[in-house]
Amino acid sequence: MFKEVKSLMDINWIFFFLLLVIFWIGEINLYSAANGNFEPWAYNQLKRFLFFLPIFFFILMLQPRFIFNVTEIILITTVIGLIITLFFGYTGMGAKRWIRIGGFNLQISEFAKIALVLFMAKYFHKLNAEKTIGLLRSILPLIISLIVFILVAIQPDLGTAVIILTLGLIAIFYAGINLIYPILSLIVLGISSPFLWTLLKPYQQNRVMIFLNPDLDPLGKGYHIIQSKIAIGSGGMRGNGFLGGSQSSLDFLPEKETDFVFAIFSEQFGFTGSMVILGLFLFLFLIPIFKSFFLTQVFNKLILFVLSFKIFFEFLINISMTIGLVPVVGVALPFMSYGGSSLLSNMIICALLINIMSISEKKRMFS
Amino acid sequence: MEDNKTSKESIKILNRRSFIIIFISVFFSLFVILRLFSLQIINSNFYKKKSIENKVSVKAIPPLRGDIFDNNNNLIAGSTSSYEFVIFKNLNKKFIDELNSLNSILSLDLDLPKIINEINKKNPYVPYKISKAGWDQIVKFEKNKFLFTAIKIQESKKRYYPHKNMSQILGYTGSSSLSSELYPKGVFHIEKTFENILKGKPGKIFNEVNSQGRIVREISIQEPIKGNNLHLTINLKMQDFAQSLLPLTNKGSIVVLNCQDGSILSMNSNPTFNSQAFEDRDNSVIERLLSDNSKPLINRAFSGFYPPGSVFKPIPALLGLQKNVINENTEVICKGHSTLKDRNYYCWKKGGHGRVNLKKAIKESCDVYFYELAKKTNIDELSQLATSLGLNQKYDIGLSNPQQGLVPNKKWKKAYLDQGWYLGETLITCIGQGFNLTSPLQLATLYSALINGGKYPKPRIHNDENVSYLGDAFDKKYHDLILESLNATVLEPSGTAFKLNNLHPNFVKIGGKTGTSQVIRIKEEDREDDLYKSKEVEDRFKDHSVFVGYAPFDKPKYVASVIIENGGSGSAVAAPIAHKALNFAYNLNV
Repeated sequence: MFKEVKSLMDINWIFFFLLLVIFWIGEINLYSAANGNFEPWAYNQLKRFLFFLPIFFFILMLQPRFIFNVTEIILITTVIGLIITLFFGYTGMGAKRWIRIGGFNLQISEFAKIALVLFMAKYFHKLNAEKTIGLLRSILPLIISLIVFILVAIQPDLGTAVIILTLGLIAIFYAGINLIYPILSLIVLGISSPFLWTLLKPYQQNRVMIFLNPDLDPLGKGYHIIQSKIAIGSGGMRGNGFLGGSQSSLDFLPEKETDFVFAIFSEQFGFTGSMVILGLFLFLFLIPIFKSFFLTQVFNKLILFVLSFKIFFEFLINISMTIGLVPVVGVALPFMSYGGSSLLSNMIICALLINIMSISEKKRMFS
Repeated sequence: MEDNKTSKESIKILNRRSFIIIFISVFFSLFVILRLFSLQIINSNFYKKKSIENKVSVKAIPPLRGDIFDNNNNLIAGSTSSYEFVIFKNLNKKFIDELNSLNSILSLDLDLPKIINEINKKNPYVPYKISKAGWDQIVKFEKNKFLFTAIKIQESKKRYYPHKNMSQILGYTGSSSLSSELYPKGVFHIEKTFENILKGKPGKIFNEVNSQGRIVREISIQEPIKGNNLHLTINLKMQDFAQSLLPLTNKGSIVVLNCQDGSILSMNSNPTFNSQAFEDRDNSVIERLLSDNSKPLINRAFSGFYPPGSVFKPIPALLGLQKNVINENTEVICKGHSTLKDRNYYCWKKGGHGRVNLKKAIKESCDVYFYELAKKTNIDELSQLATSLGLNQKYDIGLSNPQQGLVPNKKWKKAYLDQGWYLGETLITCIGQGFNLTSPLQLATLYSALINGGKYPKPRIHNDENVSYLGDAFDKKYHDLILESLNATVLEPSGTAFKLNNLHPNFVKIGGKTGTSQVIRIKEEDREDDLYKSKEVEDRFKDHSVFVGYAPFDKPKYVASVIIENGGSGSAVAAPIAHKALNFAYNLNV
């Protein structure tokens, strides 16, 4: 089940270090979000990080073969978890998103992302396709993706659901589906979007409308975007300096410790700081993908690609939210937003990435 | 997990696909970078400004209002501190409980439902004034301070009027209930007219606030600038003394002015009010003042308009002299009445004055002389001369609602009554009755004009206002004759005001003219008859008693104009008051 202890030496230290740097920047940022206090966010987040570290190393040390064997169990468990959430979930912000396990409020949908990718990886690995894949052989992953999507979407948590569906589609795309189908579905989507609009809940429509024009409701739903843009814009080239952000310290920024944590950062460290963060996440994205080029096994390649894509994708969506490029959909900034489930799932993802990256196919670790 | 021999083709596909997605991701990242660049570099200043607007609140500090002084540097309007209970609704959700305990502990007797209703309508970050805080109440409040978080004591500056008798001149300040103005401004009389001098410049406190509007820290203060002081020509002692002269039983007023420079020394009206009531927001008193039928808010010396009566007579006399209709020696025989078109116009003296020349006509106030003169007088010329002598003019000295009054002419009658002019109307106009309407201030100015020979200093109340002159000089001969006649009125035995000499032989010698302003046309022959006052006439139908005099008679410096409503004849009531006032001014020598 576990690798040898000495294989710990083979892990990608650069990636691990990058992870620590980003987490630590997040910590400093949460410290400044509380106007220079460790309480309540920075301290709690650090406690969680330390608490999750054993889980991180546990997954880091798992044999890929073991992971391969339990993907279905993981998927079924999370789907059951999602169903339980729907019935017994804990309601917050108008949605049932959390279930209480051992003193923690867990957001199962965060883990559903991982479960889905693992399942896909195994499915396409087993398929062992010679060339591009037809529609028929993509049906099962598509259906599974849709099931998970729907289970999350009806919580309702459209942001997470869209990310789950995106990950599913990206996985299918990566695995080599015939290009005709993605192109065809994009065309269909374009045509049917007016109809889809009517399926959205009024508050979701509202969010989109206000995204398109925040001044529609400057003190209500547009307030988030307007204040966030003011915070980021006032940062300028170099920022207002550490703890120098008036927008955040004076509480103009709502949800500043979660979804809008980037605005706090950018107000203090400006365009320069924003570019540094972007660079760090780009590395975090590209290192596993670079490694994936040297691997031949579909299971490994797909996990590395889609999971590292997941972190970068969430990063981009979150930042785009705060600068008004996409509607506010409630996607956390990996490792920087305050929140346990997101931190745990991203730590698991990174553990998986490091785990797979340390595979040397030449050493025949798969045999 | 079984190792697959993944085909080379398949690996190529996977790697190619990852390039596609990386490409799309990087492309999207470029959008993000461009957007950040636009926000943080290109439009940074815009958002920086927004951010500052977000966090800075500006609060005005009301400036101190300028003080007002009399001509002797006595403070007549200043500022003082007052204390109020205010409530900051945002500081305690249960502010209603606090209101209840304030009400019961201090036994304030507040109308709580009304107050709560008003508070709920107001901005929660702006303090709401609950009530005035007296010293005892402040002590009790401090003892129970632990009960209150939303209610606080706030100091505010308040106008302070130490001399009640100045109210008719100073007016008062107030804050309009609808306006957004933060501090009171002048709304009446001097306080209103000289608002720009008195108001000063508000200061500003720049506070850093959070999104709830709570102050985090003070950034900077711009100190308010106190308004400029205002110096009036009014003399406090004169004003107080003159007020004491007015009988409390009758409405009336008195103006004393310096005819050498036009400065108004006092201007009193009875009944009167106290400006402090408005400043203290003493609503019951204010309501009583506003609804009082005797209109205590009106300064009758400035805004009271009455027919001038006989004090008007020097004007037709002067016109007659100028037009050569009469001269010093022209005589008229007064048999007690004059006839025009089968109608008799009576003199106040039943038996008539006998042979009357101009001096005697003024001295003894013979009406028949002026009826005869009127028959040869053009009403338009009379009106014009009266205007150049100071009647029929608005005096914008600084009190609110200046009015013109009236000396009628043909044009006026056509325009307002749509009627032609009758000669009979000229007759009664020449004795100061009829359509004539003048204020005590205008009459004082008229006599100042007569004393100064036609060119007279404009009346003024603001000491810094330069002396300016109105009117046109007339012939010195006429000037001497008219003054001689007016002096004779008081100084010679048959003069209508001669008894002033017996009344107060030690007082300064004055000249002047009595008048009786008719309220209704009853028995013209009774006018100016001393017996008149003993007759049983209902008070409100009694004539107004008028006197305008000047002192000293040989070198006039002060003019006093007195009217006592329903007081009876001018010689009996108004003249002694004017004499006392002139004597006081003369001894004061201001």
